[in-house]
Amino acid sequence: MGETRRRFHDELDALVGEILAMGELAERSIGRAVEALVTNDAAEDEAVIQGDDEIDSQYVSIEQRILALLALQTPVASDLRLITSMLHVNLHLERIGDMAVNIAKTSRSIKDLPSSGIILAHIQEMSDVVRPMIRTAMEAFAKRDLNLCLRLPEMDDPVDRLNIGMYQEVAALAGDPAKLDWGLRMILIARQLERVGDHAVDIGEQIGFLLTGEFREFTDASHPVNLPPHGA
Amino acid sequence: MRRVEVSGLSAWFGPKQVLRDVSMVAEPRAVTAIIGPSGCGKSTLIRCINRMHEEVRGARVQGKVLFDGRDVYAPDADPVEIRRRIGMVFQRANPFPTMSIFDNAVAGLRLAGRMPRDELHEQAERALRAAGLWDEVKDRLGEPGGKLSGGQQQRLCIARALAVEPEVLLLDEPASALDPASTLRIEELVQELKEQYTVVIVTHNMQQAARVSDWTLFMLYGEVVEFAPTQKVFTRPDDRRTEDYVTGRFG
Repeated sequence: MGETRRRFHDELDALVGEILAMGELAERSIGRAVEALVTNDAAEDEAVIQGDDEIDSQYVSIEQRILALLALQTPVASDLRLITSMLHVNLHLERIGDMAVNIAKTSRSIKDLPSSGIILAHIQEMSDVVRPMIRTAMEAFAKRDLNLCLRLPEMDDPVDRLNIGMYQEVAALAGDPAKLDWGLRMILIARQLERVGDHAVDIGEQIGFLLTGEFREFTDASHPVNLPPHGA
Repeated sequence: MRRVEVSGLSAWFGPKQVLRDVSMVAEPRAVTAIIGPSGCGKSTLIRCINRMHEEVRGARVQGKVLFDGRDVYAPDADPVEIRRRIGMVFQRANPFPTMSIFDNAVAGLRLAGRMPRDELHEQAERALRAAGLWDEVKDRLGEPGGKLSGGQQQRLCIARALAVEPEVLLLDEPASALDPASTLRIEELVQELKEQYTVVIVTHNMQQAARVSDWTLFMLYGEVVEFAPTQKVFTRPDDRRTEDYVTGRFG
């Protein structure tokens, strides 16, 4: 028997492609926002803020197409799981895009304040971890790879540590009010990057649901869980 | 081009009025679905489009059906020619059971007049290909049509309708007697056919209307309740009765 719902499946494939493209956009946007902060590049701050329109319009378009599939195509089984997971992943990516904007706007507002090289290095380090996390999550989606999903919570650990460490770094600036003012904004930025890591983990959870049909949180702030080792 | 425009159409069976002032348009290269509960006038509406309704004793029509801008009910309109240009497929697959697959496919062509054998074969192949049946029957064209499965028989009837080169295809619940796989096959076929034909499909399967159509007409008690793009009808219909019907709250 041949394929009976080819057009529906073609549309699903097309949506997967759009989501993957959106993942690249969001990941690049985070990278550019942090780069603009570290290099004090005001023009790049603006470019990141303007660039979010593209992510937002992609988000709306994907959301509408998913809504149409749900309303018109009676998806079931793995098709249904793919559609609901894409609905979530789409929103996570849109939020990551917004976080890049938040970083760029904060960066734009502190151009006249004195900065700290150590703290900027920490921010850069966080970015260097969360961007591969987004890439890993999207690769897990593209390859339908559960093992890649399961790596994400572990990748997220240093991000959480760097974020907590940021408080101590900034507290050390207490003697210089202008630097402290700048440092407090860095806490906000670190918090944004920490959230990006959480979104990447959440995307991994959605891919896990897509692949296994069972939803479970990889990390749970109120009830920590033990994950199986890699390759399990 | 191949546009069907129904305007102020009312229809009766004897004293009983079954359509009331119906207006709708079926656009070329699109599928228009007609949905509604049993007895709402769906089938009567499409049977009025190609003048099949009047074949029933005591049936009567008032209003206009414009095809290509011309009223199919104009005094000089030829119903046979209209039915050739506006083909129809019915709920139950009705191939001639003992006639061969080939002869079934070209039955309409033979009725229309003589045609050289090789040309007839060409037309049969074209129609069977268009109906998505060719690969399954090309090596057994001489076998009786009745030997095919239900889904194949229905596609054979679609091929028979396509062989006479219509411009509009009216499908009256074409998949309601088929199993799920054959139903989906017919739905894919409908999507392919709309590239070349104006397609109108009557269905009491709402999900089917949602899957295959670009426009949806919802009827109730012989009247049009809502006529809109299918996505709108199934995501945010304007009329409360449409909402209740598509969500299964009545009907």
